[in-house]
Amino acid sequence: MVFSSLIFLFLFLPIVLVLYYLTPRRFRNVTLFVVDLVFYAWGEPIFVILMLVSILVNYIAGVLLGKYRERKKLSKWILIADVVVNLGLLGFFKYAGFIGETLNLVLPFLNLPVIEVALPIGISFYTFQTMSYTIDVYRNTVKVQKNLIAFGTYVSLFPQLIAGPIVRYEDVAAQMMDRRESLAQFTEGVKVFLVGLAKKILIANEMGNLWDTIRSSGSDSGVLGAWVGIIAYTFQIYFDFSGYSDMAIGLGKMFGFEFIKNFDYPYISKSITEFWRRWHISLGTWFREYVYIPLGGNRKGLPRQILNLAVVWFLTGLWHGASWNFILWGLYFGVLLVIEKTFLLKLLKKAPAAIAHLYSLLLIVLGWVLFYFEDLGQLGEFVGRLFGADGLRMSDSVAAVVLSYIPLLIVAAVVSTPLMNTLYHKIKNNAVRLVADNAGCILSLLLCTSKLVSSAYNPFLYFKF
Amino acid sequence: MKKMINYLPTFILCGFIFVMMILLFFLPKSDFSVQEKRQLSDFPEVTAETVFSAKFQNELDTYLSDHIPGRNFFVGMSAGLELAEGRNGSKGIYLGSGGYLFPKPSQKTENLMKNAGYIKEFAAESDIPVYMTVIPSSGYINGSKLPPVHEPYQDGELINDFQSALGSDVKFCNVNADFLMAADSEQLYYRTDHHWTSTGAYEAYTLLGKTMDFKPLPEDSFSKEKIKGFYGTSYSKSALWMLEPDTITLWSNKNQPQGSLLVEISDGQDKKTSTEYFFLDQLKNDDKYPVFLDGNHSLVRITYNNVKSGTLILIKDSYAHTIAPFLSQNYREIIMVDMRYYKKEISALAKQEAADSILILYSLDNLSADNNLAYLF
Repeated sequence: MVFSSLIFLFLFLPIVLVLYYLTPRRFRNVTLFVVDLVFYAWGEPIFVILMLVSILVNYIAGVLLGKYRERKKLSKWILIADVVVNLGLLGFFKYAGFIGETLNLVLPFLNLPVIEVALPIGISFYTFQTMSYTIDVYRNTVKVQKNLIAFGTYVSLFPQLIAGPIVRYEDVAAQMMDRRESLAQFTEGVKVFLVGLAKKILIANEMGNLWDTIRSSGSDSGVLGAWVGIIAYTFQIYFDFSGYSDMAIGLGKMFGFEFIKNFDYPYISKSITEFWRRWHISLGTWFREYVYIPLGGNRKGLPRQILNLAVVWFLTGLWHGASWNFILWGLYFGVLLVIEKTFLLKLLKKAPAAIAHLYSLLLIVLGWVLFYFEDLGQLGEFVGRLFGADGLRMSDSVAAVVLSYIPLLIVAAVVSTPLMNTLYHKIKNNAVRLVADNAGCILSLLLCTSKLVSSAYNPFLYFKF
Repeated sequence: MKKMINYLPTFILCGFIFVMMILLFFLPKSDFSVQEKRQLSDFPEVTAETVFSAKFQNELDTYLSDHIPGRNFFVGMSAGLELAEGRNGSKGIYLGSGGYLFPKPSQKTENLMKNAGYIKEFAAESDIPVYMTVIPSSGYINGSKLPPVHEPYQDGELINDFQSALGSDVKFCNVNADFLMAADSEQLYYRTDHHWTSTGAYEAYTLLGKTMDFKPLPEDSFSKEKIKGFYGTSYSKSALWMLEPDTITLWSNKNQPQGSLLVEISDGQDKKTSTEYFFLDQLKNDDKYPVFLDGNHSLVRITYNNVKSGTLILIKDSYAHTIAPFLSQNYREIIMVDMRYYKKEISALAKQEAADSILILYSLDNLSADNNLAYLF
């Protein structure tokens, strides 16, 4: 189930709110766990079993790690076994097909059967969450969670189950056992949720329409049209993903949880290094905590640091999808980061801000080209188009579409910066702020609902003749 | 109390989603959407099997979309939002000046040319003259009413190309120039529908007279009856509910003798007859365009005894329903065929009926989308 759907807004959410708040405090995790499972099972009931297995395995691993803490060797083997099971499940369900295809490409005589498995939603997210728990238990930085329900609730918590943020166990350990929901926190949550909903429905989806139209018009878009298209995709992916994170954070607050911020206006960055501190923060943190630093980080000399970065960015790319373009995309940023670390960052700091912004945005946008096209042939074709391989002329049809999206593109650009947020926080007068808050909430609710309803409005035109 | 007001967003969200849910449970459900002209979905079946296969979940999604309270209100609001964003035409319909709605240009050049090929071949083998006319789209003819930013309407060019692809065996009546001129002073198309008005059809009728060599009845021999309150399909698609309805005008020959007309409609085995061109019962429905010859049928035979001779086979789409009553003033018998339902050979039909001409009449949009012309012969 996705948040931006009528079922979620007008059936699931109200029912869950009632159930949750009618439940006595000490049983609230049980209620939450049950609704989490319903939420997860909604689209693909069968995979709920997979998630339950994952919960159970990691729960047991945690308990064992706690029990055999003193026996260093044994606990190391327990952790290794646990990580192998986690990555094994992720690898099988997400990467089996990809690995098979790649092996067949490299070693064609093997003629391996390529396994086609459906990807269980959210598996990349919850696998990383459960691993953050067992690894931290092993490191003795968090306490063992002996309550299976509390642990299961942490893993399957519906707000962040499908698309993050990747909440580390450490960050919510206390909240799992004892949280005090409050009307103030709930209200805050409503606001964040509705901002996220509007980002997703009112901006991301429309930018997606624009990108689809331009992309499918092929060479008709010309150079400028192709750039508008990829910029639209740049906005789509940001508003989609950060909108989803906002909804997750907002919903979390409604149930008494506080999750960390996942996006911090990434498109205002003045370097790629800064971009990755602002984009999908929870993923970056995870890789830093559980891969980069354990590998030695920057403490073992530059060559080793570069190798560590290469590993991290290869994995970051791979995490995003089982396809070579994602690996390329990850390595692309890895290379940029190494270049910045060795000398460019210093130059960027001295350069005028406009240059640094332009540099960053250009590379980010080009990065999204790599990210979008899984087919490397199409990727090459589109890159060619961006640089004039298909001529300059934008066809009249594409021009008409592009022109009609200019107001929304401007809105998207403005909302990508902290400007609105700064203005909002400048409001000192409580009455003005109240009006702004509530008008914003009402608008977001009505407009998002109208878009959701309208997308399912299909005049049946069989009778058109 | 002062403090509670700070929590208003909570009450707004909860109030809204709870009221919507309760309305969803308790409001009576309609099973047909007037605007969309389609059956709305039923509540999905709940069984272990449908739940495990997620069939129930998917169908519940559709059910909710179909029956969400205030559906038309929200769809209209979304259409308004798109206009506010400068995205006129995002639902496939442009809002032009004067309350005109225009479907976006949708012609598929390749299919159009394929159809030209079929018709050319058909005409080459036909023993009787084959005439054709293609009706341009409202957006092309009313170009001055289009919004400034719109996709290009290439009807002029496309119809010219189509005409030249037909070759000389088909006698083509190109109405574009006259329509463009007449559109300044007359309403040739409905504002809320893609179809032409009776005025538009009459204009084409007089032009066809020149090509097909008949003498059109002058305009003053018709009496005109106005029917108000017609909302067409462009209106439904656009969801711009604030627009004014159209008026349908029914033109009847003042001197039509009693009992001289017989309209026989058949769809396979189903048959019905009438002594009128206009089916006034259809005006009770939300879609009023079928007032002309009862809408789409496989085969319609119009016999008008007041005319001495002439048998015309009319291969057509729904635009023909408006013009057929005019053509009927010059042909004793018109056999109107809808190729989407009529699956027999047209040349055999022409022989059997001893027809003396064939007219193929389509709108450009339908012609370029039609896949049935391959069955002409």
